[in-house]
Amino acid sequence: MNVRQWSRDLALGVRFALTGGREGWVRLLLTGVGVGLGVALLLLTTAIPNALAARDAREDARTDITFSWEDVPKGDDTILVANVSTTYHGANIRGREVEPDGPHAPAPPGVSKLPAPGEMVVSPALEELLASGEGRLLRERLPERIVGTIGESGLVGPAELVFVRGGEDLESRIDTAAAVARIDGFGDREPQPSEPWDPVLLLMVLVVFVVLLMPVGVFIATAVRFGGERRDRRLAALRLIGSDSRMTRRIAAGEALAGALLGLLFGAVFFLLARQLAGSVELLEISVYPSYLSPSPLLAVLVAVAVPAAAVLVTLLALRGVVIEPLGVVRLSRPARRRLWWRLLLPVVGLAMLAPMIGQGGDDGNFNQYLVTGGVVLLLVGVTALLPWVVETVVARLGAGPVSWQLAVRRLQVSSGSAARMVNGIAVAVAGAIALQMLFAGAESQYTRDSGKDLSRAQMSVRVPEGTALDTVAEEFRATEGVDAVYALSSTYANDRPGDEAELISEVTVGDCRTLREVAALPSCQDGDVFVVNGAAYDEATPELAKAGRTLWFDAAQDSPGEPTGWTVPGTLKEAQSVDDPTGMRRGGFLFTPSALPEGAEGAVSHEVFLGIDRSVPDAPEHVRNTAAAVDPYSEPSQWASVERSERFDSIRTGLFVGAACVLFLIGASLLVSQLEQLRERRKLLSALVAFGTRRRTLSLSVLWQTAVPIALGLALSMTVGLALGAVLLKMTAVPVVVDWVSVWSMTGFGAAVVLAVTLLSLPPLLRLMRPDGLRTE
Amino acid sequence: MTATATPPAGSLLTAHDLRKAYGPTTALDGASFSIHPGEVVAVMGPSGSGKSTLLHCLAGIVTPDSGSITYSGREMATMNDSQRSALRRSEFGFVFQFGQLVPELTCVENVALPLRLNGTSRKEAERAALTWMERLEVDGLKGKRPGEVSGGQGQRVAVARALVTNPRVLFADEPTGALDSLNGERVMELLTEAARSTNAAVVLVTHEARVAAYSDREVVVRDGKSRDMERIV
Repeated sequence: MNVRQWSRDLALGVRFALTGGREGWVRLLLTGVGVGLGVALLLLTTAIPNALAARDAREDARTDITFSWEDVPKGDDTILVANVSTTYHGANIRGREVEPDGPHAPAPPGVSKLPAPGEMVVSPALEELLASGEGRLLRERLPERIVGTIGESGLVGPAELVFVRGGEDLESRIDTAAAVARIDGFGDREPQPSEPWDPVLLLMVLVVFVVLLMPVGVFIATAVRFGGERRDRRLAALRLIGSDSRMTRRIAAGEALAGALLGLLFGAVFFLLARQLAGSVELLEISVYPSYLSPSPLLAVLVAVAVPAAAVLVTLLALRGVVIEPLGVVRLSRPARRRLWWRLLLPVVGLAMLAPMIGQGGDDGNFNQYLVTGGVVLLLVGVTALLPWVVETVVARLGAGPVSWQLAVRRLQVSSGSAARMVNGIAVAVAGAIALQMLFAGAESQYTRDSGKDLSRAQMSVRVPEGTALDTVAEEFRATEGVDAVYALSSTYANDRPGDEAELISEVTVGDCRTLREVAALPSCQDGDVFVVNGAAYDEATPELAKAGRTLWFDAAQDSPGEPTGWTVPGTLKEAQSVDDPTGMRRGGFLFTPSALPEGAEGAVSHEVFLGIDRSVPDAPEHVRNTAAAVDPYSEPSQWASVERSERFDSIRTGLFVGAACVLFLIGASLLVSQLEQLRERRKLLSALVAFGTRRRTLSLSVLWQTAVPIALGLALSMTVGLALGAVLLKMTAVPVVVDWVSVWSMTGFGAAVVLAVTLLSLPPLLRLMRPDGLRTE
Repeated sequence: MTATATPPAGSLLTAHDLRKAYGPTTALDGASFSIHPGEVVAVMGPSGSGKSTLLHCLAGIVTPDSGSITYSGREMATMNDSQRSALRRSEFGFVFQFGQLVPELTCVENVALPLRLNGTSRKEAERAALTWMERLEVDGLKGKRPGEVSGGQGQRVAVARALVTNPRVLFADEPTGALDSLNGERVMELLTEAARSTNAAVVLVTHEARVAAYSDREVVVRDGKSRDMERIV
């Protein structure tokens, strides 16, 4: 291989591309935009790991309350921190209450001056929310005066909602509220090794990446072949003046190289724009600072090298079957029939690579990442290889129909390859998405569990730390807008011996008769009664302790250490049968009506309130949260859901949706660009057809058929491959194969909708191109 | 269109005082034209003189900025786009410099296309197409695609396509412009013979005197203005 000759020819091709006049510039621009979109998506993908790492680093840097730390002695460099995070309209708000122990107390990252009691500093997004009408209810919950803004170093994203407020007397709550601690610095000093990935989740991540990136690669390969027909004529002219066929191909590759290089430039610009845009967008509670989105240099270099190299390679491969003669390009004649065997080989080898891993998910075994990626890639590449054969074979058998159909079918028969190329991207995306949907639907049960909560009895609960009277708490919630039922329970423990000497510990639940009936079947009940509960799981202490005349000891309140309160088990102790409480738990121990609780024991009880919510009252949960914050800032309200899902499972699914949206947008844009490119090349012919009276409707329909036929075939093929891949992936995860037809049809419908949208969008330019002006030559 | 004039007696297609500009470029600046049934009129002039624009206006492809065009007693300006399209489909035929055949259709399908656009069944349209292909000596190419035939053969296929609907007016824009002289002359012979046999009027745009020699009359267009020339024999 003569490097000088190669570079000379490639450079000549680049020059041809740049000096092709208006026509050439338009073609170059289209290629550049097409490749640029793909490059931008590749760069964004390579930037995701860095963005996630940057978010993690910020999160680590502000770590304060952990369960593993030992007690930190009070000093002038320590600070008390309480977790007062809350939720508003479904969005999580990170909240901290701080009280410095001395002048050298550390400040949280992003906070330059610690707020005094009654003051708070907030993130810009929270400041905006509090100032808006939408944040009115939240302002009631956070009434402190805003004295500053939290800087970027204290936030994981620009849209994050964070506040830090000044606190008072936090020391007294260190032991009563779990979320209060004394620390001498922020940041995770003992970072826990990250939890190893579940093999099935890892498999999902790998497949998501492959499925999202494959269509981008396919599209880039298509974009560098824009303008093929006109280029062929130019190449023929080059042959006429003496360039040999290899040289001509290299010159053609040089032209594609110019488009790819321009695409890299456009891609960088698109990426920078998207990065900037990412700073102002929040998707599923994830926002990132533009600076987080910086691709790893190695991957960026890889993109910069691989894209132009792929452009050259694809052109050389594409021109292999084309004979460029001095008087024209012999491409318009019927091409040689495509062979099926090697096209089938790709998916078969892909399946063979995945086959050894069938059933491994169930054994907690590890999947071989290379085999998974290779197998999925080969199966999906198989779609792109099989599709041209399928399109060619089917359209060759299509009969004549109306003129629009005839025009479309004949065009497809002549250039089935370019039609297939056009829909390859979407076929790969749909095949991958169907497989992933199947995998997600099948594996969902492994990562979703029934929360056990009975939503027909209550929809929210609030834990209130000890120190407040149960009556007061219940009254406050009863008076809250949107609350239609309140079941207030208190909990504490009764022990066989006082203080730390206790060996047998039994749960004590305090509530009025109506509320106690929510946790146990009571024979009869009036204030002053005490019950012993049978039928709870893991409760061996109670039968021992529930003996008449035995003295039991209640814990003293943490903030007023005094003598433990003793209580003698009465002979009137009634028996009750445990039933599921609203959280789905079966309580054991003793049930006390309020006046039966011995004096001195009430200080040690913490409260839990179950609330029935009137769904017709707007913002009822927010009113509840406001009341909870007013009752005790460290109370923990929570809204119930009937199922709970693994966070990682959810975030992978989120990733798939975000990625699929980007890829479908890209594919839609690419389809439109290549459709316009094809129409532009046929402008003169379209004008001539209109000149001799062809109806515009006929030509529009013909364009629709030309897209619809390959798309229909592409979708049918992608359904087949997608279902096969989905079945294999499910078998790998040892989950029974069930086809989720709703998602299969919805993914297929989504693909079809993209095509329809593209066809509709290409109609205005088509109508413009059909103007007789196209016949003008001067 | 503002100006109107009485068409010459017996004329099939008449244009009077046509003006047309593309942006700052004036293509027609008061051109007039008329043609009788069965007549072959050559429109001559240098490149950029406005002859193709005149042809496009006469065929109802382009609407002039002012002036009037009358076809068979009907003012073209009163027709809407679909009426003009219908007229082009049924009454007019077209031959362009590069044939402009649909590359993916076979030659016979290309010739049959105007009939199919008019609603004729495929079988019938292809039968009629073959008859015309025989007359133009290209029936041997019926199954071939335009990319597989020579320029002269393709142009004869294009002439067959233009005549297959038995048009009353045939518009030919530089029909031999892309052919060598031998092929060009053969195409012109066949075109004019076929047109005369069906009494079709032919508007022939050319800048070649040897092509214009096939016409009955010449109109010269220069700087957007037209002038009738007497044939000097």
